[in-house]
Amino acid sequence: MKLLGMLVGCALAAFAAGETVLIQNADLYPVTGAPIKGASLLIQDGKIVDVGPKLVAPKGAMVLDVKGLRVYPGWIDSATELGLEEIGSIRETNDTGELGDFMPQLRALSAVNPDSEHFGVVRVNGITSAVTFPALGGRGGTGGQLISGQAALVHTDGWTWEEMEINRSVAMCLNFPTAGGRGGRGGGLPPDLQEILPGAGAAGNAQRAVLDQIAKLNAFFDDARKYQKAKAANAPDFRRDLKFEAMIPVLERKMPLAVAAARANTIHDAIAFAEKQNVKIVILQPREIAKAGPELKAKNVPIILGRVLALPDSEDAEYDQAFTLPFEAYKAGVKFALGTFTNEFVRDLPYQAATAVAYGLPHDEALKALTINPAQIWGADDLLGSLDKGKIADLMIADGDPMDIRTQIRHLFIKGKEITLTNKQVRLYERYMGRQ
Amino acid sequence: MNKLLLTAFLLPGAWALAQVPGTMAIHNAKIVPVSGPVIAKGTVVIRNGLIDAVGDNVQVPPEAWVVDAEGMTVYPGLIDALSTVGIPGAGRGGRGGVATPAVPVVEPAPVQRSWGPEDRPQTTSWLLAADEIQADDRRIETVRSSGITTAVTFPTRGIFAGQGSIIDLISGEKGAEMVLVPAAGQYLSLGRGGFGGGGGGGFPSSLMGVIAYIRQIYLDADHYKLVKEAYGRDARGMQRPEYDRALEGVIASKRILLPANRTVEIDRMLRFAAELKQPMILYGARDAYEPAAAELLKRANASVLVSLRWPTPPVRSPDQEDTDTLRVLEERDKAPTAPAVLQQAGVKYALYSDGLDAPRDFQRAVKKAIDNGLPREDALRALTLSAAEIYGVADRVGSIEKGKIANLVLTKGDIFDDHTTIVMVFVDGKKYTPVETAPGGRGPATDEPGNPGGNQ
Amino acid sequence: MKRVLLTALIALAPLGADTIVIQNANIMTEGPKGNFKGSVVVQDGKITQVGEQVLMPQGATVIEAGGQYLIPGIIDCHSHIAGDGGINEGSVSVSSMVDIKDIINPDDIAIYRALAGGVTTANILHGSANAIGGQTIVLKMRWGKSAQEMIFAGALPGIKFALGENPKRAGNPVGGRGAGTTQVARYPATRMGVEDVIREAFNDAKAYKAEWDAYDARVARGERPIPPRKDLKLQALREVLENKRYVHVHCYRADEILMMIRAAEDSGFHVRTFQHVLEGYKVAKEIAAHGAGASTFSDWWAYKIEAIDAIPFNAALMARKGVLVSFNSDDAELMRHLNSEAGKAMKYGGLNETEALAMVTINPAKQLGIDKTVGSIEAGKDADMVLYDGFPLSDLAKVQKVLIDGTVYFDRDKAIAEQATKDAEKKRLQDKERAAQQKQQPTRRPNQ
Repeated sequence: MKLLGMLVGCALAAFAAGETVLIQNADLYPVTGAPIKGASLLIQDGKIVDVGPKLVAPKGAMVLDVKGLRVYPGWIDSATELGLEEIGSIRETNDTGELGDFMPQLRALSAVNPDSEHFGVVRVNGITSAVTFPALGGRGGTGGQLISGQAALVHTDGWTWEEMEINRSVAMCLNFPTAGGRGGRGGGLPPDLQEILPGAGAAGNAQRAVLDQIAKLNAFFDDARKYQKAKAANAPDFRRDLKFEAMIPVLERKMPLAVAAARANTIHDAIAFAEKQNVKIVILQPREIAKAGPELKAKNVPIILGRVLALPDSEDAEYDQAFTLPFEAYKAGVKFALGTFTNEFVRDLPYQAATAVAYGLPHDEALKALTINPAQIWGADDLLGSLDKGKIADLMIADGDPMDIRTQIRHLFIKGKEITLTNKQVRLYERYMGRQ
Repeated sequence: MNKLLLTAFLLPGAWALAQVPGTMAIHNAKIVPVSGPVIAKGTVVIRNGLIDAVGDNVQVPPEAWVVDAEGMTVYPGLIDALSTVGIPGAGRGGRGGVATPAVPVVEPAPVQRSWGPEDRPQTTSWLLAADEIQADDRRIETVRSSGITTAVTFPTRGIFAGQGSIIDLISGEKGAEMVLVPAAGQYLSLGRGGFGGGGGGGFPSSLMGVIAYIRQIYLDADHYKLVKEAYGRDARGMQRPEYDRALEGVIASKRILLPANRTVEIDRMLRFAAELKQPMILYGARDAYEPAAAELLKRANASVLVSLRWPTPPVRSPDQEDTDTLRVLEERDKAPTAPAVLQQAGVKYALYSDGLDAPRDFQRAVKKAIDNGLPREDALRALTLSAAEIYGVADRVGSIEKGKIANLVLTKGDIFDDHTTIVMVFVDGKKYTPVETAPGGRGPATDEPGNPGGNQ
Repeated sequence: MKRVLLTALIALAPLGADTIVIQNANIMTEGPKGNFKGSVVVQDGKITQVGEQVLMPQGATVIEAGGQYLIPGIIDCHSHIAGDGGINEGSVSVSSMVDIKDIINPDDIAIYRALAGGVTTANILHGSANAIGGQTIVLKMRWGKSAQEMIFAGALPGIKFALGENPKRAGNPVGGRGAGTTQVARYPATRMGVEDVIREAFNDAKAYKAEWDAYDARVARGERPIPPRKDLKLQALREVLENKRYVHVHCYRADEILMMIRAAEDSGFHVRTFQHVLEGYKVAKEIAAHGAGASTFSDWWAYKIEAIDAIPFNAALMARKGVLVSFNSDDAELMRHLNSEAGKAMKYGGLNETEALAMVTINPAKQLGIDKTVGSIEAGKDADMVLYDGFPLSDLAKVQKVLIDGTVYFDRDKAIAEQATKDAEKKRLQDKERAAQQKQQPTRRPNQ
């Protein structure tokens, strides 16, 4: 008996370093398996250490009895500018869209402001992590870039960006050349959709410019490969080049390219480029899924879909064109995740998914698109995306289906730490409720 | 005896007028009077610039210069119901309305920014085309070579551009000599194309701003008249009224021309004209093929000028995607049926060139309407008597009748056919020979290679 | 009672028969009867019966709802769709002479898309480029009808004012957002100037009104004086002073909201609604005391500095303090899901489903003065209703049918079928054109 006590004691001592929380009587929605009613989940040192029908609380653990409530993995928004942009109309608050054609060495992570109000606003609705991009759709900056830098996968809570980091180099942003020009009208139509609008300018010149840019891209990649060889061979006159250093993980297929491409032609060209250069690729905001689907599936190219609540891209298109895109992707067998592509609407991520469900996407698939799919696409599925042992304890506890507007999030955990569900807006509300 | 001189006149490329014979006779021609049945073989006698006689049993006066028109057809000279010929700086008579003109009108020197209706922005309502006409405008001879003898020509710059004048297209020294009717109506357009709404260029900067401005002008004009009348009756004790030439121009106009192409615009302008209580001619009428539009026009008893500039698809390379909407495609498909639809519906309408100066362009455009269901005689009427009736000058022009002005076109073949040659054009009884042409009648179209002068 | 020939009635049947019964629906009436499962009878464009049981009239077309949810047609209090040639006359600071009614464009596809999102009525406003903007109008989304036929009969006209950043932007041509350095600066450049523009305009309007009142008095006495010059700009403001025109004020910050309340009271009129009013929660007390309504976004923020203190609890907080609150869209995309925007009032601020749905139905109806005819499912009102296939305040549900004046203007199944026909027709015309182009000369100069 004493031995057991000592062992437990030692175990406790070992656990004392991190918080231990036992969530019990919950309806668990692991995503990677069927829901388990009335079960428990044990968090220790920031990780999920056990999941099961009945778990025993270790000594010193905080016990959270959540009878009637549901536990989901935290949402992952696959396309934001969180921490990099504060107020859309004020350039000084915006750190996306740097100058320079080839800037792979730029890193979004260390420009992230951990005290951006946006983090507090979005996490209370269950978004526990997000991919933040150095340049999304040409907002800010010159829009002239070919390679704009490395996107980062971050938690939406942390004292510093270091603490928030999950992966500082989760994707290399590449703006694939299209006739409509890169960088477009800032947050509006993707550039290659602009090109097909009436009055888009002389076709011939535009085509030539596109081919020039693609040639430049290929040349840059070839140079990067030369650098990679020289480095590996320890060439005598080898000199470190930060740009090409940044390209090495891409060439080693550890970091995918993230490329915005709406039309089937552009998608095809981008995939062809990636194949030629033997690198991985993720397509952002594709629109012509019916056309491009077969190729995306055949080549195993995952996609990030933009906001489902969006207008059709032309006057004659069906009114629910954007609403049915996730269903189209699912039918085509393409792996997809959802992203909101702006900061203000990140908190509406679950409702974007809800719309997809209304227009055909099975509910379970919608759930995956916000959890395990992005985890897999961004190479973090050993850490995130489901309620599985060993994963980081990013989870929400809700009083219903979190895609239903009526549902409230009751508890939120990021890296196993419970987050107070307050933010600047909640504080303003409470303050002014008190005004007599 | 006069046949020698006659042959000289018939030589291609001859521009010279030489002496204008007092009396002429076009003999043995097929005559299409428009106002009556076709005369298979007859004579038209011209005396002092007027039609003296027409018929199949007309005596050729002994002193007359005779044109042997065996195998030819005589038509009334065509009337271009909305033109800018003779007006300096005018590229093409416009559709106006909200569409951006393809050929931007040359802007005058920058004007003071307008801060409201009181600044009378984009207004030159007091202008009369008759005062602006340059008799040596090269367009006169080009347009005449289409068979057009009379044009209602307008200044077209601005919201209130000024009044148009009806002119006969003679080549003379003074513009004033051409004028039939000095004041034919006020040309209105709905402002420069491309409203940004930002207002950097002054008031008005939106369509609703233009409409509000027009409405205010007419309110001001009514008030102006009241004040002037009262002052005229008894000036004592009254403050003297201000002189406002913009209002004078508006008051002097007996009718207005308003642009409308889409059905919603047609609806809007019909209502607007009724509100302003102004007799109105609607120009553009691109969507008049829609039954709803034709119905509106019929019910309002409106006069309509239909543009001959049919919408055409842009030139695209084979791999370029077709981005035109269904609406635009339908329009392009159906627009040339508009005259036939209006004809069927009993709407009063005429056709206008809308800047299609080149004879081949003009002829093809009319032919397109014919190919799309407009009977030939109706096409002809829409370019002659109907236009005259709309402008109230049917007693003077528009058909081959005794007493009317001797404006005639002599052709080999039906006037609107592709291979027809226009042999002679008579304006005010003066004889002209059309511009040197390629075989087949009217020279190349503007978009064909080998047309140096184009009308782009 | 419409005089309709029997044959015409039969011919019209596919569009919307005169008598319709929607049965077995989960009805959220937004009226005194509350929410229940039952049926609605529609005759001649009006709701004649609402209840758990209804009397089935002869020859009625039956729409079997099968448990789907029926709500009143959504009313968007702030929209800029359906207008031709620009919704801003921003060249001058006071553009009250312009009127949205003059530029209604019934062909705008945004109307159809809004309809497909459950919107049956929209308040079409002038933009926010100037302190005093143009006249506004209320439309029903009667897709396929003419401009005149879209106008909401009997709705009082409005006028749009704007405070804050937008109306002063043209006063700061250098360095301001969206302005070039060559632009002439237009007064005002600050919020102080915005207030001044409004006060000055009403100062002029009062004088104008006095002029006309004096004239009317003289005419009443039998005299025949020359009337004063009619000035469209001041006439619209005179109508405000005479309570014949509603004032809708675009605003963000608490200070400018309060400024507007005081300026209005000093100038002798009342604000009908504050629009956007994202800091309305800070001065809810004053807004309620003034009697203005508030029409706001559910959760937009951070796009401009004046939106920095916007909170999603704004609507709930203002409602709790006695303000009549609605949600609007100000955007052709947001307009399509005002139902779930309303749902956000449940999530942020804990309003119940009836209070939340009111934000896009009976509340905007009251704000626009049209609540006698629309905004709830009650006998005597217009048959403007929307059928959802799930709980209507959630994005998990979608619109199946929309009725306006008892006619089915949107039917999802029909829409899907019509799309196929449209696509086929488009292809036919494209092919026809392409074939005709092949026949012509291959070397054509591109025409401009």
